[in-house]
Amino acid sequence: MKFHWFAEASYPKLPADFRARKISSWVDTPKALHDPHVVGEMCRMFIRLMQQADRDGFDGLAVNEHHQTPFAVTPSPNLLAAALAHTTQRAAILIIGDSLALYNPPTRVAEEMAWLDCLSGGRVIAGFVFGTPMDSVFAYGIPPAELRDRFEEARQLILKSWAEQEPFAFNGKYTKLRYVNLWPKPIQPKFPIWVPGSGSVETWDLCIENDYCYGHLSFSGLHAAKPLVDAWWEYCDMRGADTNPHRMAFTQLICCANTDAEAERLYTDGVKYFYRNRYTNPAYEAPPGYRSSKSVQAIMGHRKIAESKLSAEDRARAASGEMSFWEYDKHGFIIAGTPERVRQRLREMCTDLRIGQLIACLHQGDLPEEVAVENTRLVGQEVIPGLRDLWAEHEDRWTPAATHLPLAKAAE
Amino acid sequence: MQFQTFGAATVRLFRFGQGRPLLWLHGFEGHPGDAPFLKRLAETRLVIAPEHPGFGESDGLAAMHDITDQALHFRRIIRALGVRRIDVVGHCLGGMFAAELAAISPHLVRRLVLVNSYGLWDDANPLPDAFSLPPPAFAAAKWAKPETAPAATDDPMTRQRNLGSATKFLWPIPDRGLTRRLPYIEAPTLVLHGTQNGLIPPAYGQRLASLIPNAAFQAIEGAAHMPMIEAPEAFDHALGSFLGAEPEFRGR
Repeated sequence: MKFHWFAEASYPKLPADFRARKISSWVDTPKALHDPHVVGEMCRMFIRLMQQADRDGFDGLAVNEHHQTPFAVTPSPNLLAAALAHTTQRAAILIIGDSLALYNPPTRVAEEMAWLDCLSGGRVIAGFVFGTPMDSVFAYGIPPAELRDRFEEARQLILKSWAEQEPFAFNGKYTKLRYVNLWPKPIQPKFPIWVPGSGSVETWDLCIENDYCYGHLSFSGLHAAKPLVDAWWEYCDMRGADTNPHRMAFTQLICCANTDAEAERLYTDGVKYFYRNRYTNPAYEAPPGYRSSKSVQAIMGHRKIAESKLSAEDRARAASGEMSFWEYDKHGFIIAGTPERVRQRLREMCTDLRIGQLIACLHQGDLPEEVAVENTRLVGQEVIPGLRDLWAEHEDRWTPAATHLPLAKAAE
Repeated sequence: MQFQTFGAATVRLFRFGQGRPLLWLHGFEGHPGDAPFLKRLAETRLVIAPEHPGFGESDGLAAMHDITDQALHFRRIIRALGVRRIDVVGHCLGGMFAAELAAISPHLVRRLVLVNSYGLWDDANPLPDAFSLPPPAFAAAKWAKPETAPAATDDPMTRQRNLGSATKFLWPIPDRGLTRRLPYIEAPTLVLHGTQNGLIPPAYGQRLASLIPNAAFQAIEGAAHMPMIEAPEAFDHALGSFLGAEPEFRGR
C-alpha cells in the first residue's frame, strides 16, 4: 500500500460570503478576489509541507493542473514539481497530471517530465489527464468534440518521443513536427503512467489496454465514489485485466489529531471552507460532448446507486459546507480522528475499494499551516506504518523504482 | 428519410416534395425532422435536408478535420443528387456551412439564403456563449416570445450529442476564417435575421451581408433565432420572393 501527499492548493482568503453570492469558483471568478502576495505565501507553504511529507515517509508528492480557479491555484503542475524535485530526496514526484490536449506542441510535456525525471533522479510518475471541462473546454478553449482525439494524438507523440532513440517526424492531425528528438531523455526507461478519470468507460479502456494506473480523484464522499470504483473493478474483471490494487489511486481528505475532539476543533473550518467554496456554474461542469453518450449513461447509473445512499438534501448540505464535522466523516467525505481511528477507517476503505495508491489530502481549504504540519506528521509516522502490510503481496509496478529502494530499507 | 453514405459519413437524408431542388442545412441544435416549415417549402420544391455528421443518427464527424472537409461533404451530397446547381438555405450552424460551400464551390450554388448564421466574430460585440447559457436564458435568447415557444421535444442525450458535435465548428469562437472567404461567394444571397435574436445579434447578419459581393440583408420582425417558426409568413414570403416561387402560406 502506497501513500501520496496531496492538497488542492486552494486560495485561502476568499470572502466569507463567496458561496452565498453564488460566484462560480471556476472559469470566470473575479480576479479582484485574490491577492498575489497571498498566493505566494500559499505556494511556499505547500512546498514546505511536501518537503516535510518526503521526510515523514510518504511515497509520493502529488501535484495537479487546474486553470482559472481559486479552488486549486496550480496552472502548471510541472513548476511545483520542479521545486519539489530539487528539494526532496525520496518520494515520487506524482504529476497527476499534465493536461495533454492543452500543450502545444505536446512534446512540451515529454520534455518537462523528462527534465523533472533527471532532476529528481528518476522519481517522476507521469500523469496524463483530460482536464476538467472547466479547465480544458472553458479556460483553454478546446472543443469537446476534439478533446479526446487531441489527448490521444498527444499521448502517442509523447510516448514515442520518450521511446525513440533517433530523431523522427510526426505528422499528426493537430501537431506536425519535422524533428522530434528529446533532450533530455528521462532516467526511467519506462515511466509509470497514471490517468485519472471520473467514470468514462473510454478512460477505463485506455488504462486497461496500456497497463496504466487509474485514479478516481473526487471529493464527493464514499457514497458517490463506491459505485464508480466497484464498476471499474468489475470492468477490469470483465475485460480480463490485472486487478492489482496498486493500479488504482483514490483521493481522501484526512484530518488527524491526538484526540477526536481535537480533530473536530482543528479541522472543521478548513473542511467547510473547502466544500463551501467549490461551487461551480453547473454549465461549466458538463458542456455538451465532453463525455460520450455511453459514458453519460454509465455515470448516471452509478449516480443513482450513490443517491440511494445519500439524499439529495444531504448532498446539497455537504456541498455547501453545512454538514457537521462528524457527518462529513460518517459519509466518507473526510476520515477524521486519532491516528488509531484514521488507520482503522483507511484499512476498511482501502480494502473495500481495493485501493493500493492512496492520495491523502492533508490540507483542506484555509487550514492553518501548523495543523497541516501535525496532520502530515501523524499520518506519516503513526498511520502509514500500520498499513504497510495491506496489499504487500502485490507487486507495485506503478511507482518509480527509485522510490522503492529506501522503502525496502525502512522495512528492514 | 433514408440513410445514405457520402465518403466516410453515413447520414440521414430527408426528402420532401418535388420540384426544383433546394438544400436545407440545419442548425446546431439538430435536424428539425419533418418540421412544418420544411413541409411548407416542399409544397413547391424538392427539399433535401441532410443531417450533419455527428448529429442525431448520423456519423462521420471524425472525418471532418476542419470546415473545408465539412463544406466538401455538402458538395459531395449535391453531386450525388445529380443536379448542376442548387438553391441552398442554411440556418444557424447550417448557414455557416452553406456560406463555406458557396465560397469554395460557387458553381454549384444558384441562390443562397443564410438565416441567423454563425461564422463571424466581432470583439466589440461578442456573442453570448450558447453552450453555457442556463436553459431559461437560452430560451430567452432563442425566442422572441419564449413563453409561447413550442416545448422542446428532443431527447436530452441526442441534444448533448448534437451540441457536442457543433462545438467542432462553434467552440470556443465560431470563427473558422469565413470572413476571408465570403468575397468568393458568387450566388445572389439573402441574409435573413430575426430582429430579436439574442444568440446572434442582427449586426452579425448585416456584417455577413456586407461581406458577400451580391447580398441583401432583410430583418424579420417578431422573431429571434427561429423566424421560420415565430414569423412563418414573413419568413416564407422572404424566402419565396427571393427564390422565385412563393409558396402559398397556409399557417402553422
